Amino acid sequence: MRIGDFRASYRHDEALWPTRVQRTGLVLLALALALFPFTANGYLVGLACMVGIHCIAAAGLNIMTGYTGLISLGHAAFMGVGCYTAAWFAQRGLPFFVTLPLAGLFAAAIGTVVGLPSLRIKGLYLAVATLATQFLLVYVFREWDSVTGGVRGVNVPNASLLGFELLNDHRMYYLIVPVAALMLVAGRNLFRTRVGRAFIAIRDKDISAEVLGIELLHYKLAAFAIGSFYAGVAGALLGYFYRAMTPEYFTLQLSVFYLAAIIVGGLGSMLGTILGAVFMTLVPELLRAGVALVAQWAPRATEILSPVQQVVFGLLIMGFLVFEPHGLLEIWRRVRRMFHLWPFRA
Amino acid sequence: MSGGGFDWIALAEYSAIGLLSGGLLALVALGFVLIYKGTGVINFAMGEFMMLGAYFFYTANVLWGLPTWLALALTLAAVALAAALIERALLRPLSGQPVISVLMATIGLASALHGGVDAVWGGNNYEMPALLPRKPFTPGEILIPGQVVWSFVLAAVVITAFTLYFRFSKTGIAMRAAASDPLTAYVLGIDVRRTQALTWIFAGMVGAVAGIVVASMTSLSPALGGAALGVLAVIILGGLDSIAGAIVAGLIVGLAESLTAAYLGGKVRDIVPYAIVLVILLIRPYGLFGTRQIERL
Amino acid sequence: MSTTDPRSDFSRRSLLGAGLGAAAASALPLHAALAQGGELVVGAAPPITGVFAFAGVGLHQGLGDYCEWRNATKGGVAGRKLRYIGEDSAYKMDQAMAVFKKIMGAHKPPVFYGDSTAWAKAAAKEVSQLGTTMTSSPSFASDLADPKNVPFYFMAGPTYTAMGEILLEYINRTSRGANRPAVAIVYSDTEFGRDPIAGIKAKAQTLQIPVVQEIVTKPGAVDVSAEVAKLRRARPDFVIFHGYVLAPIPEFIKQMREAGMTATPMGTIWSMDMTTVNAMGPAAQGWMGVMPYRYSYDTKDAPTMQVIKDYAAKARPDMKYVPLFYTHGWLVGMIFAEVMERTLKAGKPLTGPNMKAALETIKDWDTGGVTGLLVNLQGHQIASGRIYAYNTDTKLMEPASGWIRTA
Repeated sequence: MRIGDFRASYRHDEALWPTRVQRTGLVLLALALALFPFTANGYLVGLACMVGIHCIAAAGLNIMTGYTGLISLGHAAFMGVGCYTAAWFAQRGLPFFVTLPLAGLFAAAIGTVVGLPSLRIKGLYLAVATLATQFLLVYVFREWDSVTGGVRGVNVPNASLLGFELLNDHRMYYLIVPVAALMLVAGRNLFRTRVGRAFIAIRDKDISAEVLGIELLHYKLAAFAIGSFYAGVAGALLGYFYRAMTPEYFTLQLSVFYLAAIIVGGLGSMLGTILGAVFMTLVPELLRAGVALVAQWAPRATEILSPVQQVVFGLLIMGFLVFEPHGLLEIWRRVRRMFHLWPFRA
Repeated sequence: MSGGGFDWIALAEYSAIGLLSGGLLALVALGFVLIYKGTGVINFAMGEFMMLGAYFFYTANVLWGLPTWLALALTLAAVALAAALIERALLRPLSGQPVISVLMATIGLASALHGGVDAVWGGNNYEMPALLPRKPFTPGEILIPGQVVWSFVLAAVVITAFTLYFRFSKTGIAMRAAASDPLTAYVLGIDVRRTQALTWIFAGMVGAVAGIVVASMTSLSPALGGAALGVLAVIILGGLDSIAGAIVAGLIVGLAESLTAAYLGGKVRDIVPYAIVLVILLIRPYGLFGTRQIERL
Repeated sequence: MSTTDPRSDFSRRSLLGAGLGAAAASALPLHAALAQGGELVVGAAPPITGVFAFAGVGLHQGLGDYCEWRNATKGGVAGRKLRYIGEDSAYKMDQAMAVFKKIMGAHKPPVFYGDSTAWAKAAAKEVSQLGTTMTSSPSFASDLADPKNVPFYFMAGPTYTAMGEILLEYINRTSRGANRPAVAIVYSDTEFGRDPIAGIKAKAQTLQIPVVQEIVTKPGAVDVSAEVAKLRRARPDFVIFHGYVLAPIPEFIKQMREAGMTATPMGTIWSMDMTTVNAMGPAAQGWMGVMPYRYSYDTKDAPTMQVIKDYAAKARPDMKYVPLFYTHGWLVGMIFAEVMERTLKAGKPLTGPNMKAALETIKDWDTGGVTGLLVNLQGHQIASGRIYAYNTDTKLMEPASGWIRTA
C-alpha cells in the first residue's frame, strides 16, 4: 500500500529510490545478500555467483538490445574477449581491480568495431552480422594459441587483493555480487541521463531520432561499447570463478541464453534483467531436481535431462513471446499493482 | 600427379566438388527464402526441419521397415503438418511484433525441436540407408563422389519444380502476390493466411528433403540441426528474398567452402560462410539479387 | 516497451531479493542426502548426451555397474558400500564443472570421473587445491600423465601420443624395402584431437616416415567430400584417425574406398569400438587400431572380461554387445576401488595425497584380463596396448600383435 509518497522537488522525483519503503527494502536486500553465504551450502553459493555473472552479462545485452534495439547474437563472444583479457593480465600479475576494467575496455573496443556496420544494416541483418562475428571471434579464440591458449584454454590465477586470495566460491561471491550490484545500478542510472534517453529514442524509431539531432552512429557505437563492456566484465569474473576457461564455453547457445534471459525477464528494464537471469539460472536446477525425483521410477530419465532442458528452454522462450511478451517484469508489475491500494481495495 | 607447376587438375576436382555440393546448399537456402519472402521471417529453425525430416524418414524406413517411397510420403506429410502447426501456433500470434521477438521465437523453436529429437531418438549416430547412388564419376583424372553429383541433380529438380510452380500455378501466383503485397492480395480475394501457412509447409518439406539427403550422405544425429547455420551465408549473399540469388549464391558458397577446405585446411572451412556474411553485409547488405528495402517514417 | 513508472522498479528489488535469499537459504538440493555413514561416493560427470553421447552412456553404465557388482560380490570396499552418482555433462565444459562442483559440494566424494580432456585440464588446478579427491576421465592426454604436476589424476590406458607411437612403430615394422610408407593424419579440432599430433609427427620424423597430409575437421563433421579429395591426392599408405568416436570416420572410409584408395585406415582407442566398425559396413576391411583392453567378446583366459559379460547380460539384457566404453568404465571402477582399499587398509584416511601414494603402490596388478599385461600405475597411466585388425570372416576386431609396453 502506498502512503505518504509525495515528492517535493524535481531532484527528489528523479531519484532512483524516492520512497522510504524502497530505501529500507534496499538495505534489507543488501543485508540478505551479505549474509547469504553463511546460511547456504557451497553449491548454492556457487550458483549465486553464476547468477551474479549472468546478471552483469544480461544487463549489458539489455542495454544494447532492450534499450537501444540493436539485436546481438554475439554476446558470448564479447564475454570471451573479456575473459581472455583478464586471464592474460592476471597471469602477468595485475590485481583483479585492474584486470576487470581492462577486460571490459577491451571487450568494449571490439564491440565498437563490431558495431560499426550498424549504421548501414539494421534489425535482422545486424543480428546475422553479430552471429557471424560470434563464430569468427570463437575461431580466433581457438587459433590464437599464444594469447588464448587455443583449444587447450587458459588457466586464470586466483583473484587476489593485497595477498588475500579469493580461493573459493564463498570469497568470489563477495567480489561478484558487489560488482553486479554496482553495474546494475549504473545501468539503471544510465537511463536517467541524456545518453540513455538517446538510446531509447533510437530503439523506437531511429530515423526520427536522427531528425531530432541525435547522431546515430555515435550513440549506436556507444550502445555497443557499453553493452560489450558489461559482457567483458562478466567474462572476466567468469574466468576468475572457474579458474580455467576454454573456447568451447562461448558458444552461440550462450548468446541465445542471454537473449532468452532478457526476453523472459523483460526487455528494457534492469529489474527485468535480474528477474530473467535468476529465472534462467534456476530453471535448469529445478529441472535437474525434478528429474532426480522422477529417476526413482524411470531410471533412464537422467539420460535425457540435457535434451529436456533444451526443450524446456525453447518452450519457455516461445511461451513468453506468445503469451507474455513483456516478460516476468510484467507479471511482477501486475502483482505489484494489486497491492497498491491493499487492504483498502484489492 | 602433374610434376612441377600448379596442380590444375586438383583445382578442377575441388571446384567441381564444391560447385556440385552447392546444389544442396541452394536447396536449403530455398527453404529460407520461401519463408522470408512469404512471411518476412528468417527461420533459424530451418536446420531443425532438416533434422526432423531425416529422423521421420529413418523411423518410417528403417525402424518400421516401410518401402522408401511410402516412408518419403509419410515424412513429407508429417513435416507439412508440423510446419502448419508451427505457423499457426507460433508465427501467427507474433505477426506484427518487432523483429527481435520473431527471431527469438524461431530460435526457441530450434532449441525445442533439437531437444525433442535428442530426447526421443537419443543422441547416437544412426546409419541412414544410402538413397543416392554412391558410384563415383570420373571424368578424366577427376574423381567426384556419386552422392555429390546426384544430390546436385536432386536439388536442381526440386528447385526447378518450385520455380515452375510459382510461375505458372494458381496457388503459386497467389503466394507470390501475397508475399509482395499482402494488403492488395487480400483485397483481391486471396486468402493470405492460407498462403502463409502454405509457405511454411513448402519450406518444411524442402528442408525435410534436404535433411534426408544430407543424413544419408553422412549419418543421422541431432548435430544435423546446426548444419543450416552455414546456409545463412548463402541467403545473405544471394539476397534474402531471391530464389535466383539462392541458387547462384549456393554454388558460390559451395565452391568457396571446397576450395578453402582444400587449400587452407578444414578449420578455416567452418568460418568461411561467416566471413562471407560479414563481407557482404558491409559492402552490399541486400546481396546479389535481393530487393533493397526502403524505410519510411 | 514499459510504460509504467520506471523509478519504482527498484522498490520491488528489495522484496524480490529478500525473498530469494530466504528461499535459497532454506532450500536444499533435493538429492543432497549425505552419504550414510561409511558409504563411499563415486562421483562422475559422463557425457551422456552431446557429441560423444555414444561413448558417454557406456562410460556411465560401466562405472555405475561396477559399483553395484562390487557391493553385491565383495560388500564394497573395506566393508563400505560404493555409491555411484553420475550426472550428464553433455560434453560441455561448464556443465561438467557445474556437476563437479555440485557433487563435490554435496558429497565430497573421494573419487571423481570427469568427461573430457578439456575438463581434466581445467579442473586439475582446483582438484590439486582441494586435495580431497582422486580423479580420472576418458582423457589420455599426455600432459595429464604427470604425477608431479597433476598429482590427483590417472588414466586407465596409455597416452594418446603413446598410442600414435605404437601405430607408427607397427607401420615401420611392417613396411620393408626402400619405399618409406606415407602416412596421413586426420584429427578433430578439439583438445582431445590435437593432443598427440605434435608427438606423432615427431615420432614419424624419427622413424623417417613422411607425413604427407594433415587434415583437421570438426568433431562431428557432416560433409567430408572435399577432405577425402584432398586425401586422395596425397596418396598415403596409412591414414591415422584420432579425436573421433564415430562420425565422420565411417563416411571417410567409405568415400576413400569408393575413390579407389587402398590406404590402411587406423584409429586410436575411442574409435575402436565395434559399433564404429560396424557403421563402416564392408569398407571396414583393413581397419586397424590400437586399444589397451580386450574386447568384451574375448573372454578366453580373461576372467574379468567374463564377469563383465555376465553382469551386463544379467543387468542390461537388451545390451547385445558390451562396448569398450563400458569396459573402460568398469576398469576405472576397479582402479578407484583398489586405490581406496589400499588406502583404507593402510589405516589412512581418504585424502588426495594418501590416495596418490596408494595409487603409486599399484605394481604388477592383475586386472583379470582387461589389460593384457600386469598393470603398473606409478606413472599414473597404464602404459600398454595391443594392435587390432578387422577380420572380414568373423566380422570382429582381432589382435594383430602382442601386448606392447609403451613407457
